[in-house]
Amino acid sequence: MSATAPATRVLVVEDDPHLAAGVMENLRAEGYEVSAAGDAERALEWLRGQHCALIVLDVMLPGIDGLAMCRTLREQGNNTPVLFLTARGDPVDRVRGLEAGGDDYLAKPFHLQEFLLRVRAILRRWDWYRSASATAATAVLRFGGNEVDFRAFHARAWNGDAQELTEKEAMILKVLAEHAGEIVSREDLLERVWGYDVFPSTRTVDNFILRLRKRFEKDPANPRHFLTVWGVGYRFLTEGEP
Amino acid sequence: MKAARVFQLTTLALLVVSAVQVGYWVFDQRSYTIEKVHAARAAYAEQAAAAQALLDAGVSAGRIQQMLPPIVVEGGHASLAPKVEEMLRTEERRRYNRYAWEGAFFMLALGACITVIGRALRAEARVLEEQDNFLALVSHQFKTPLASLQLSLETMALRTLSPEQARTLIDRMLADLARMEAMVTQILESARLERGRVDFKSEPLDLGAAVTRVIAHLEERARQERIAISCDIEPGLQVVSDPLALDVVVRNILENALSAVTPHGGGSIALSARAQNGEVELSVRDSGVGFRSGDGTRLFERFTRLHPGGGSTHYGTGLGLFIVQRLMHLAHGRVSAHSDGVGQGARFVLTWPAAAQGQRS
Repeated sequence: MSATAPATRVLVVEDDPHLAAGVMENLRAEGYEVSAAGDAERALEWLRGQHCALIVLDVMLPGIDGLAMCRTLREQGNNTPVLFLTARGDPVDRVRGLEAGGDDYLAKPFHLQEFLLRVRAILRRWDWYRSASATAATAVLRFGGNEVDFRAFHARAWNGDAQELTEKEAMILKVLAEHAGEIVSREDLLERVWGYDVFPSTRTVDNFILRLRKRFEKDPANPRHFLTVWGVGYRFLTEGEP
Repeated sequence: MKAARVFQLTTLALLVVSAVQVGYWVFDQRSYTIEKVHAARAAYAEQAAAAQALLDAGVSAGRIQQMLPPIVVEGGHASLAPKVEEMLRTEERRRYNRYAWEGAFFMLALGACITVIGRALRAEARVLEEQDNFLALVSHQFKTPLASLQLSLETMALRTLSPEQARTLIDRMLADLARMEAMVTQILESARLERGRVDFKSEPLDLGAAVTRVIAHLEERARQERIAISCDIEPGLQVVSDPLALDVVVRNILENALSAVTPHGGGSIALSARAQNGEVELSVRDSGVGFRSGDGTRLFERFTRLHPGGGSTHYGTGLGLFIVQRLMHLAHGRVSAHSDGVGQGARFVLTWPAAAQGQRS
């Protein structure tokens, strides 16, 4: 993201006016366009009519909390990335936030530069995902009778089942597909999809691979496309293992 | 705490085992009685059969009666005497009654004990959960102004600011500090109230004088925020309360009203008081942001902020009204909040017991 490109819009959902003002001023200073909402209801209302590239979302909001709001968004099929801000920063709360569909998690009080870095990192990951899915050739992935539309986060499985992908599943699949046939380590997947120190363990990646196998493998217990390379990571094969 | 819990749980387990034991005892006794009565009936039937055989063999009825007293011989036929049959039935009924009463009594007693302990355990669990929530909320409440302070300072360090921008940040930081200071005071106050550790005096106090004191304290802020405060309290109205508590209650209610009016860029707060039915009622009406009519009770819960900030720099900790409610409760009074809806203003009514005429100071 550079300040000269058409401004990227960020929605700040924070009930504390001082913190909201501080965050907004700094985002504006970095060249983003900023909108604000004091609670989840207003934010959801705003999102019904408008788009943004990122939502900075406080977890403890009056009324609907940030986690519930994020889940609602994802259920509505809105994949806008979310950066959670919260007073609770222990690992369990982090995982909860990411499970609710968040992309990153920052505990209050936070360092301004770290905040800006994370905003940039999330937007960069999404820029990569969007540009990597921009052409007709890269927007759709076909393997083993499955067809994945990266732009619509939609897939049709080998048995004809329609599948709605979460943005993380789509991103992991994208990374694997870009490196089809090669070994991709768990750390690489974490780095590409979540960024640096978001997750406490690489187990999370394994869980996502299990989910992808369930969606796309004929026999998830004996995968032919999403192969585990013991001790290293994963290898994705479009043709399927012979 | 932990040992008490182990004790409670053990007692609960013992009680449950006892209840099962009592149930089994009643069942066992009933089976035993049925068995005994059945055996007695069989034995009597054998005696009657033997008597009949003797009778058929030519033994006299008188001799048979002598040998087998429970048997009567009538018209050449030996049978069990009706009074023996009656006695058996009575005994059977008596035993059943006893088991029913004793069993029911023990079950009731055990049931009562189990309920009492179960309730205590539930209450304790609720207290623990509330404490956890309280801690989480307190930490959240502190981390937010801290985060704001840090953000303001780091913004100053990172960016080149105009004097106006710097002024805004400094004002914001000062307000954050004031907020944290108010929070420390109120958290300590509410924790003390929560544990009932307050030395609460009950004495007749002049309501008008207390209100005037508080208004004088807040006048400057009201003037800056363009809020007109009017006060219509007839002189001599006396309430029974603790002098400090009365000041805190009136101040918190007035500060709450100021914070509600400020986002409107000015307005009014009207106080009025009257005595009725041995009580004194103070009404505080504001032209502020109001609240949804359903939120009238939620307002008084800890850390409830229905209008967080709303652009005001003086916004609450979410403890002020909670403290008001607790203090009013200690003064044997009450507080209620009314609003016709968001943007419609609000009315808070404080009610104290009036001081008796003779008590006037």
